[in-house]
Amino acid sequence: MGSFELLEHTADIGIAAKADSWPELLQQLALGLRRILCGDSVIASTLCLTQTIRGEDREELLVNLLNELIFLLETRNFLTAELEVDCRATGVLTLHLHGEAFDPARHQWQQEVKAATYHQLRIEQDGESWRAQVYLDL
Amino acid sequence: MSVNIEQIDACRWRIPREGAMRSEGLVFADRAMIERLRSEQALEQVRNVACLPGIVGPSIAMPDIHWGYGFPIGGVAAFDAEEGVVSPGGVGYDINCGVRLLRSALSAEEVLPHIEILADRLFQNVPAGVGSERRDLRLNLHQERQVLQQGAAWAVGQGYGTPEDLEHIEERGVIAGADPLKVSPRALERGRSQLGTLGSGNHFLEVQRVDKIFDPQAAELLGLFPGQVTVSIHTGSRGFGYQVCDDSLRRMIKASRKYGIHLPDRQLCCAPLSSPEAHDYLEAMACAANFAFANRQLITAWVRETFEQVFHKGPAALRLALIYDVCHNIAKWETHEVAGRARRLCVHRKGATRAFPPGHPETPAAYRQIGQPVLIPGDMGRYSFVLVGTQGAFSETYGSTCHGAGRVMSRHAAKKRARGQDISGDLQRQGISIRAAGRATLAEEIPEAYKDVRDVVSVVQQAGIGKIVARLKPLAVIKG
Repeated sequence: MGSFELLEHTADIGIAAKADSWPELLQQLALGLRRILCGDSVIASTLCLTQTIRGEDREELLVNLLNELIFLLETRNFLTAELEVDCRATGVLTLHLHGEAFDPARHQWQQEVKAATYHQLRIEQDGESWRAQVYLDL
Repeated sequence: MSVNIEQIDACRWRIPREGAMRSEGLVFADRAMIERLRSEQALEQVRNVACLPGIVGPSIAMPDIHWGYGFPIGGVAAFDAEEGVVSPGGVGYDINCGVRLLRSALSAEEVLPHIEILADRLFQNVPAGVGSERRDLRLNLHQERQVLQQGAAWAVGQGYGTPEDLEHIEERGVIAGADPLKVSPRALERGRSQLGTLGSGNHFLEVQRVDKIFDPQAAELLGLFPGQVTVSIHTGSRGFGYQVCDDSLRRMIKASRKYGIHLPDRQLCCAPLSSPEAHDYLEAMACAANFAFANRQLITAWVRETFEQVFHKGPAALRLALIYDVCHNIAKWETHEVAGRARRLCVHRKGATRAFPPGHPETPAAYRQIGQPVLIPGDMGRYSFVLVGTQGAFSETYGSTCHGAGRVMSRHAAKKRARGQDISGDLQRQGISIRAAGRATLAEEIPEAYKDVRDVVSVVQQAGIGKIVARLKPLAVIKG
């Protein structure tokens, strides 16, 4: 069972996640981002999007995934409630995103996130146990 | 990992050169600041910057330093044109985040009876928060590219301000060499709807009054008088700049490997200044810087409109004139004297402000006698300061000084401290009207989350890298 927690940073914020698989780890990080963006707001899964993420290594894929969710919010007004991650192809993630249009009346907007960064980025695997840590620039 | 640090004098500390460092570190701070810094990573980051190839002189840190990505926030470093590098981490995600200050003909006594409606109208007229935009400003791709090449001049050409404004902006509101072809479609898409928006976090629009004058002669030349109403705008290149930085990091990580540059921290990724990767980054960075200049120019126009609406006076009566606009996240080619020789250097300022001295040709003619204005915002509950640049800064820090207060508390800790507090109410009781789009913003931005900017500018003045002219106190604060 995966989980995440938010990490303190003087100016920004981090997410530490753990899970039993790489796709689930990415899901937990996405949930962490969701918490940072709009707290515990209920987000309906009325819209679906499929996006492809590319990267040369897991670190790049992780950063690119989170940055894609930020990009979709800013350019398509799409707020991700949950996602499935298909990582069967090397260097590619296929994201099946479920969410809805951001509605300031219902979604408790917390703050803008500029980007996920490579600062102290860590991904660790020990058998079926996965952990990651990433910091976001606010 | 602890960092060796030696005290030089009351406000200077040295990180001695050792190991992989190519130069030493120079930190401007008082003792209390240094003790606080030992518990976080900023000093380690100052040391890491000193490891980069072609660094000329020390890796410098200002008294508002705190840890960032790659470079610390409050970091300055200069690199040789032939041997040195450019690093996006030395500029930051918010390329040309900066501040501008407007003065007015109004006094606080005239404005205070209207402060609530003024705050409401500013909050309406200046977009802040996610998804907000001005519906009367919709750019197509061609127009966006013009913004990236022309900067603030594009906005003035569209009727947002006057040519005189351009004379009072760093680089006259445009960094040369911007090439929109070096910017990704993703950045263009992300930026298009965000031009003319404030952003959130520590970005703000603030109506202020001149609370104290420390240097009457300089204040007079800046057009400041006690009790005068001023307006500060703090914002940058928005999603456009963030995307340019994100795009560049991937390329620079590969470039660092390609050119055999060892990185103590991946966010310090860089490329030799002579490389195509460096050229591409600087051309894209210039686009983002110009976006930010245009952004602040547009917001200025809407501030002016709002004052006209609320006070039923025209521009000639309000005289909302631009004092100056400064960058505090940027990399620029500048000429500085090093060991008696003029050298062309790529100066990185990340959370640091240019502070050119009296007489410098790039200091606007109106201020050449006193030095370039430097605008130092504090937190939303206390004060901000206006300084001018000095010869001391030009000699010691590549003409650089601090940029703000610097955080001392994480956002989580600030929210915890703020629990149960009526932040808006407390500010209101202090005479500060607040409007904020984001629920987390107010709690995270409480004054206790920041250093007292008075301490920061005191160190700057004591060190001779800036000279205090005036203190401003907030009357109304608008945040995203």
